[in-house]
Amino acid sequence: MPSWAPLSKEELAKARAPLSEEQLQQRRMVRINAETVTDTSATDIPGHWGPGQDDSWNLERFRKSLQITFHQNKPLDATFSLIGVDASIANAFRRILIAEVPTLSIEEVFMLDNTSIIQDEVLAHRMGLIPLIGGHEGLRWLRRFEKAPPKDDFAAQAKYDPDDVEDNAKTPNDHNTIVLELDVTCRWANEKEDGRDGRKLAKEGSTDPTEKYINSNVYAKQLVFKPQGEQVSMFAGENAIRTANPDILIAKLRPGQRIKLSCHCIKGIGADHAKFSPVATASYRLLPHIDITQPILGADAKKFAKCFPKGVIGLEHDAESGQEKAVVIDPMKDTVSRECLRHDEFKDKVKLGRIRDHFIFSVESTGQFNSDELFLDSIRLLKAKAEKFKRHLTELEEGR
Amino acid sequence: MIIPIRCFSCGKVIADLYEQYVELISTPQNAAGEPMSDGQAMDTLGLNRYCCRRMVLTHVDLIEKLLRYNPAERDIIKLNNQR
Ligand SMILES: [Zn+2]
Repeated sequence: MPSWAPLSKEELAKARAPLSEEQLQQRRMVRINAETVTDTSATDIPGHWGPGQDDSWNLERFRKSLQITFHQNKPLDATFSLIGVDASIANAFRRILIAEVPTLSIEEVFMLDNTSIIQDEVLAHRMGLIPLIGGHEGLRWLRRFEKAPPKDDFAAQAKYDPDDVEDNAKTPNDHNTIVLELDVTCRWANEKEDGRDGRKLAKEGSTDPTEKYINSNVYAKQLVFKPQGEQVSMFAGENAIRTANPDILIAKLRPGQRIKLSCHCIKGIGADHAKFSPVATASYRLLPHIDITQPILGADAKKFAKCFPKGVIGLEHDAESGQEKAVVIDPMKDTVSRECLRHDEFKDKVKLGRIRDHFIFSVESTGQFNSDELFLDSIRLLKAKAEKFKRHLTELEEGR
Repeated sequence: MIIPIRCFSCGKVIADLYEQYVELISTPQNAAGEPMSDGQAMDTLGLNRYCCRRMVLTHVDLIEKLLRYNPAERDIIKLNNQR
């Protein structure tokens, strides 16, 4: 019978029968074989499983299947499972986290004096990469500073419309620019101020620069925040703008060398420059799945456990055979190396896979916001984007 | 030349870890008076990914050599001699 022939009554009834839990589970699997990976694409597209089945998208069903569980939630490092969404959604969150959540960073560096051996442009670049932190309320209050694109950047010029930009955002002011200053001079240590004579120490053969000189290392903690206008109240006390990692080594100096500069920090997004990215890494992987189809016993079980990272496979006493039996304890620790598929004795006893809609996210913040907060921000941004798109569609429909 | 502020690949801040790293691998860290091994030191500092590990592991701190050529210092010496 050709594949397009109409279904008989029995066939139709079979197709319409509700799926068992096991069948549903099978549909979530990405199969990982010795040489190939199969069943990679999502199957929750209406009509994919043939006629008669209701696999249309349903809010109630989505609400029931969506799950978020945290494995670790530290401000600088969060790991959580996002279960029940499509890869495109999970990937949108990841990309928004990396490139579209606005953060504050040093954008403009004004060199007043730089006699160090680090060149101006290198020093300015280093300054830009320093992550800044401050009161969250103040950081959210801060507006964007919309810089006019450079005259020779024609692509950006074509997109830029000065009428779109608020007047307040065109010039640097207390609502959109933070000022930081750095003034460090290196000198020999002397008896009067420091209680030790650097020159004498040098003559005696001291090789430790921190002993002989004062300010031989310039650290990020030496940056001074200069609040402007309303910032005095918005970033008061512990809300002051400062560096997330105070011990960042900015430059090294020798006696007589000086760095004096002033920085303007503005809000930007990771798509413009990586320094604005709020995360060091935001990534996800799919949950590995190990299915032992036939019991693996005795010495084989031990060998089997060795094919996986520690803690993935455990040994359990099997009452039936009186031997040790291999069981899956924690598939999350697996790296899916497929080592077990290289051994003939395990070939037909195990099936490897990944769960297609179980994303193990790992978000590592650079410090400005907490990692879990950033994920919520990414959801908010995706929602705003969807709403904007919807608005454009209605405008299109109405012919505006 | 000087330790980069961030890891080239992932963007983790590493400039504040380099001095600690050098400290760990060059000064006695255990009862036997032995310094830590490179790998152990990187593990303690939380450098877990290989991109961040190569940043500190393979860094050559050339700035220490360049700092020896200090014209400002020469001027200071000259001034002192005139006095
Ligand atoms: Zn890295």
